[in-house]
This record gives sequence, C-alpha cells and structure tokens, in this order.
Amino acid sequence: MKEAMSRYERLLTAWNLQEADRVPVAPINCYIIPYLEGLSIKEMFLEPEKLVRATVNCLDICGDEVDPNITTLDHLSLLGKSGWDQATLDWRIWEDFPPKGNIPSFYEKTLLEDYDDVLERGFATILYNKKICQDVFRRSINELIYNEFEYPKIYAKAWRKFVEDNDVPLLMGGRACHPLDLLQYYRGINQLTEDIFERPEKIKAISDLLVEYEAMRAMKQAMIMGAGEVPGAEIIFFVNGGPPGMPPRIFDEFFWPYAKKSIDLFVKRGFRVRCHWDNDLTPFLDTMKQITDGLPRGKILLDLEKTNMKKAKEALGDRVCILGNVPSSLLVYGTPEEVEKCCRKLIEDCAEGGGFVLSTECETPWDAKRENVRAIIESAEKFGQY
Amino acid sequence: MGKLSAALSVLDKKSVLQVVTADLGAGRNPLDLIEEAREGLQKVGEEFEKGNLFLMELMRAAQIFKEAATLITPKIKEKCLGEEVKGKVLIGTVSGDVHDLGKGIVASLLECEGFEVVDLGVDVPEKIFVEKIKEHNPQVVGMSGLLTTSIPMMGKTVQAIADAGLKANLKIIVGGGVVGEVDPSRIGADFTTSNANEGVRMINEWTRKRV
Repeated sequence: MKEAMSRYERLLTAWNLQEADRVPVAPINCYIIPYLEGLSIKEMFLEPEKLVRATVNCLDICGDEVDPNITTLDHLSLLGKSGWDQATLDWRIWEDFPPKGNIPSFYEKTLLEDYDDVLERGFATILYNKKICQDVFRRSINELIYNEFEYPKIYAKAWRKFVEDNDVPLLMGGRACHPLDLLQYYRGINQLTEDIFERPEKIKAISDLLVEYEAMRAMKQAMIMGAGEVPGAEIIFFVNGGPPGMPPRIFDEFFWPYAKKSIDLFVKRGFRVRCHWDNDLTPFLDTMKQITDGLPRGKILLDLEKTNMKKAKEALGDRVCILGNVPSSLLVYGTPEEVEKCCRKLIEDCAEGGGFVLSTECETPWDAKRENVRAIIESAEKFGQY
Repeated sequence: MGKLSAALSVLDKKSVLQVVTADLGAGRNPLDLIEEAREGLQKVGEEFEKGNLFLMELMRAAQIFKEAATLITPKIKEKCLGEEVKGKVLIGTVSGDVHDLGKGIVASLLECEGFEVVDLGVDVPEKIFVEKIKEHNPQVVGMSGLLTTSIPMMGKTVQAIADAGLKANLKIIVGGGVVGEVDPSRIGADFTTSNANEGVRMINEWTRKRV
C-alpha cells in the first residue's frame, strides 16, 4: 500500500494519469449540501459563509474535493446573465427548497429570436433586454457595483478560507458553457435542432462568438477564485456536452470543433479543463481522442454522465483522466449495497494505471440518500487502494 | 417505400415538401399522402430504436412531418375526408418539474401518428390531471419529468387518479431522463421509459388492443 497522500496530491496524481495511494473520489454535491443543512436557495446563492459552513458540516459526503457552486458566484452579475442563468430566467431565488421552492431548471423556450442581431450588436441584445433581464433594470448603481465587484470578492474569500482550513481543494474555479449548450438555453432544444438543419452557418458564426465570450467569463471567475493559489481554482468546469442525442455528423461539425477550440484556449492560458459532459457520448469516443492534440499531459479531465465508462477508459485512458458516473437514480432509490456494487464495477473498469476519479453522473441529486452518497466515498476507500 | 416516405426517412425536407406539393397538385388523395409520410416517420423511429439514428434526427423527422402536414391537412378538410383518429392521449409534466422537451417530443410523435393529444403543459398538479381526465376521457395518460423528485410526484398523481376512480379505464405511461430506470410498480404506472419512440410504440400497442 502506498503512503497516504493529501487530497490535492491524490487528485493531481490521477489527473496526470498515474496511480495515487487510492482512487480519488469526488461526488458533485451542488444542491444536496444546502438541502441537508436546511439552507434556502436564497441563502445558498447570496450568503457564501453559510454555504461554506454547510459544506464543512457535510465533509463526510464530499470526498477529495468540493463544489464551490460557481453558479452562485455571479448569479447577480451582468456577465453571469449570459451563462447558466439564461437557462433559468423564469427561476426566482426561492426562500425554500423543493417542493415548495425550486432549483434551476431548463425552460424550453425561445429567448433569442434573432441570431443576426446578436452577431451584429453582441450580447447587449440579450443582457440588456427588458423582457429577459427585468431585474437588471431595477437595480441601483450601488447594487450594480456591489454585485459586479464586491460580492465576487466576498465569495472567493469565503472559499479560500474553506480550502485553507480543511485542506480540501475546489472542484472548479470558473465555469464555461459550450456554445451549443448556451444556444439550447437561448433557443430551446427543439428550435435549435431546426436551426442546425436549416441555418448551419448562423450556428457556426454565433458559436465562434460564444467560445470567446464564455472563455472570458470563466477565466475571470477562476482568477477571482484564486487560480494558481487556491488548489482547484485553476479548473474551468466546461459544460454540458451539447443537446441530447446528436448524430455523429452534428457532433463532428457543430460540437467538437468548438469544444476543442475552447479546451485549447483554456489550457494554453494555464488552466486545467474539466469537461463535464452529459448524455451518452460513447459513439463519439474515437473523435474525442483528439482532445489532447497539441496540449500538455494532465490538463484535461473528462467527467462523463451516461457514457460507457469502460469504453471511455479503453479509448481515452492514455490521454485524459476520466471521472464518473454513479447513476442519480441509484443515489435516490438504491441502497448503499447497490451503490457499492456499482462503484466497485467502475473501479474495476477504470482505475487500473491511474487516471480515474470516482464520481457521480451530472451531480448528486438534492434528494439523494446521505448513506448512498457516503457509500461512494467508502467504496473508493474499500476497493480503490493501489 | 414511396418517394415521400423515402425522403422523410432521410430527413430531406426539401424533397418531402416538393413531393407533397406536386402530388397534391396532381390530385392525389391527401389521406394517402399523410399515411405515406407517416411510414417515413415510422422508419425513422425504427432506426432510432435500433440505435442507427439519434434523438435529434427523430425530432427533425417530426418537424418535417409537421410541415408536410400543414400542406396536406387543409386538402383533407377541403374534401371533407375524415382521418381516423387512433385514440386520445392526455400528457403533461408533473408538478414541481418544468422540463418540456421530452413531453414535447412524445406529443409531436403521437400527433404525427394520428393520435389526438391533450397537452396539459408543465408543472401540472395532480388535481388538474384528474379534472382533465374527467373532461377529455383519454385512453392513455402520459406523465413526464426530468428530475428525480418527479418520480414520487408521478406516484402521487397516479394515486390521485386511482382515488378518483379513473385508473381502471386507462393506461398510464411515465417517461423522462431517469424514469426508464425505475420499475413501473414503484409509481403505479403501466409502463416507464426514457425513450420517446418506445413510449409511442407502447401507446400504439395499447390503443390497438382498445384499452
């Protein structure tokens, strides 16, 4: 048995495709922690010290790193409004959790009505649109200054202290969306599908614009969070794998080139990229072998939701660290024994030679059983020793 | 396979609309045209279930079918031809969940197949399901949801339907992201799926048997 490593050493070793003391483990705990600790969505989003305190109380289900909920960092920022929040514009910051309140959900509707307008005038057409961002027009100058400049600093300070006090690295420092992800929020998936078939050149033109825009936003976040100083803050969380059910032609033409462009952009500026890609990408694993072309080792992490992990390891295990993918349904409806069985299989399929982190699918559902999340951590300790 | 169904099965919208326009102009029976377009859509559905085509292609096929149908349907009405409705399906995303896509795909496919679809929208409370079942008397009720929390809500909705004495006369299908991984008995439904085409196929089987 190898000498015990610190959490960050363990992760760094896995990211560099080597065997650590054991398989690192890191469920993506976004909403479950505030839920278990009785925080409202509003407190979670606006009071970072409460969120940090809640996370400290839940370290038993965190494993080797924690999710600092970057979505909340710039929820009130104008730049943030063009990212994840676009998906949730009907969403209010609830005083409660479901079923009384709500968590961000995807609203299938067309927000962006005219690609040409955005291509011509940039995102001002979305950001400063009274129909879409009503709250922006109600803000005072003082609120604007606080949300843009002061709050991010308060947020980053709280998490920096968490890392220092608990020796647990962050799961990410910044967050970027793939252009097709943003477009499915802006247009709705049904409309985006039609656009891809009928207006392919517009999609490509706006995707070029979005790559740059999202990169700027994510790198700003990561720098505020302490990239280069705070372990894990150097990671850009690159979501979400595009719309569901892309055929290979669409993947090759509309997803992959912009994914690779974004990844290259981040890595060449010194960041690490965690591709958090939903859906089943098994049919595209061959194309995805290009992911590391021209880039140094250890800079790309591939976090997969429904993709076949054994096949992913076979295809990409010599290139990138893969992370995943204990099913959400199992965490809510299964037993610790079933979770353990699933984790053991994942470790058997993916851990050999290093380059694997045991994790969840998209994220731990907020209504998952605590003992099931705990079973993920225990499985890594039990079956993941190198 | 005729020209129209062949064009639809390869998602060639331009050819589909050309064939429809030309055939209608030549006086072809619009009911035959709708049936042929439906054959093409079914071919796409079969290939999707075999794993040869992808969800986005299934959605695109339904979009093309609907465009073709907008040209054909007025001719059916003009000639006072009655198209047989296969059955009535009431569908909605359950309370607490606002995800629309899966429900929308299934509703589109059902409409293309010739079902009458009553779409209740998203975040639909149990009592609305009950009220609308009484009002529309469907043969099948479909409940959709993406979130794990939707699954108990689906169970509650099924229970509310049973409590109102309505369950014996209809089939209940539930679908969505993780729903296909859950045993139908947990929810009290007749079938669970995460695959839109599989759901439509099951509804076709049920209605053929005249539930």
